[in-house]
Amino acid sequence: MVDGNAGSKEDRKGITRRRFTLGILVASAAGALVSVFSLLKVLSPEKKGGGYVSTISSGDKLVYAKGAAMGASVEASSFKIGDAMLVYPAGKSSNPANLVQLIKLKEDEFKPPTKKGLTDKGFVAYSAICTHLGCTVSWVRDRKSPGASYTECFCHNSIFDPAEGAKVMGGPAPIPLAQIGVKVAGDGSLVFTSDFTGPIGPQV
Amino acid sequence: MIYKWLDERLELGKFKDKFLSKTFPTHPTFLLGEIALFSFITLVITGIFLGFLYEPSMKMVSLYGAKVPSAYASVVRIDLLPMGMIIRRIHHWSAMVMIAAILAHLMRIYFTSAYRKPREINWLVGLALWGMAMVAAFTGYLLPYSQFSVTATSIAYYISKSIPWIGGWLSRLLFAGEFPSAGTVPRFFFMHVMLIPLVIISLIGLHMVILIKQKHTEPASNRHRKEAQGGKRLIGIPIWPEQTVISLSFYLFLLFIIVLVATYVPLNPIEKYGPPSPGTPVMRPDWYFLVVYGFLKLVPGDLSFSVAGGKITPETIGGVIFPAFLFLVFALIPFLDRVREPQHYIANPLRRPFMTSFGIGGGVFLCMTVVAGYIDVLHITPRTMTVYTIVATLAAWAVSYALLRLYNKR
Repeated sequence: MVDGNAGSKEDRKGITRRRFTLGILVASAAGALVSVFSLLKVLSPEKKGGGYVSTISSGDKLVYAKGAAMGASVEASSFKIGDAMLVYPAGKSSNPANLVQLIKLKEDEFKPPTKKGLTDKGFVAYSAICTHLGCTVSWVRDRKSPGASYTECFCHNSIFDPAEGAKVMGGPAPIPLAQIGVKVAGDGSLVFTSDFTGPIGPQV
Repeated sequence: MIYKWLDERLELGKFKDKFLSKTFPTHPTFLLGEIALFSFITLVITGIFLGFLYEPSMKMVSLYGAKVPSAYASVVRIDLLPMGMIIRRIHHWSAMVMIAAILAHLMRIYFTSAYRKPREINWLVGLALWGMAMVAAFTGYLLPYSQFSVTATSIAYYISKSIPWIGGWLSRLLFAGEFPSAGTVPRFFFMHVMLIPLVIISLIGLHMVILIKQKHTEPASNRHRKEAQGGKRLIGIPIWPEQTVISLSFYLFLLFIIVLVATYVPLNPIEKYGPPSPGTPVMRPDWYFLVVYGFLKLVPGDLSFSVAGGKITPETIGGVIFPAFLFLVFALIPFLDRVREPQHYIANPLRRPFMTSFGIGGGVFLCMTVVAGYIDVLHITPRTMTVYTIVATLAAWAVSYALLRLYNKR
């Protein structure tokens, strides 16, 4: 402990005090480091099942997600070719991952990779959550030729082609929107027939 | 009488000699930093008013029969108060003016080369102030919890989440869990009204102390005046009383302009945006974020690669790496443009072709990324816009460099 070369008693005392202080400093620094880690963990809470996890199940009825008819059943007869709407599965509107864009196109318009088995009478549905940064996509309608209409995210202008499996036609989105199966039920309403075909939401 | 009483206890006379007699050079562009400071003061005062009435909570409450988050409802109530909406607009306009003034101040410092030795440290402090002002503005976006707020914050959430290795942890730390979470609004409120203003006030203090210690740079014309003392004593007017009178009347004039604009020009009309709902309309951020917003549109979606187990995505490139790179370039300027002797006079930008043309090229680049934010209305594809940006930047740089060289030869 005591340095052999030290001179007077005061000097040796000084060194001991210095080492003592240094010891305390090192110990507190180590303690602080440990507690900072746990503090940061507390401040950064992990939620179980975070991110976009859809809770749509096969057989759920489609309801309008916005507008005057919000919450009412979607009616197939109200759609013309080239129309699109934002829809939710009935009773599951609190989960944003369930937001779906329902589009009606001409039946012979679909090209792969659209899964034709998941479409019905020209109705096709894709996740409405942009795969870039999570904004809701919109429908840009070409009134003169409905076939030239497309899905666009207005946040950073990613463009998706609904007739070709929502493939990315332009903009920064990394992957297509995931398709989900729909069919027209006997009473003219629409129901989901499958889960999403791929990942939904931002791919980060 | 009161002065004498205070002077006997606090030695006000000494303080007056030391600080209040500091000399200000008289040059109109030297007031740009003061605009930023005054806007900040307006922000604090209006912010106190808003803070008394705002409710940082996501609890759903009833507003005209609709269920909305109480944060949104409280801002709607502020707007309905006498003078409420105008105070909120003054707050928002002041934030825009503050960042504009910071940028103008920065450009003045850059083009007159006032960042050179011995003022490198204050250049960095100034950059930090700019960054903090942007963070303060950004955390303010979320507070009204309108459709606009949620869209903007959600985009930032996914950008921070996209950072390799630490993104998940960092985004949960900043946004209090996965966004949208009930904790995000209270956490942003705390950062916006407490943490960030404290950092800004400290940085302003540091900026001022260093300024007083180092003194202003002087207009180059002062060099040839017979009172000139090469930076030891400045030629100009003292803080008290001359500069104080100028600054105060200037502040009142600025306030008058901001109040006038806030009265007639609507800003962030949350009643029009409405509370969060499905569907994202076309919305652009305030002007100072357009650079990053535009750049995000230019990065192609398939541009991603892996480094040491971390995935670098287009979102990381556009939202994190690009702004970080910009700040790095700004921060390096005084360390690349070095001089041996301390400089006390501002330089004539026309006499410094390289630095001036670099600044012009950089400025054109930033303007082009702002234009890139509007490719949807201009009907330009991202790829074409990228080419335009590169061409315009290089052309502006080259042309201004050639012209300045020519000017200096004559």
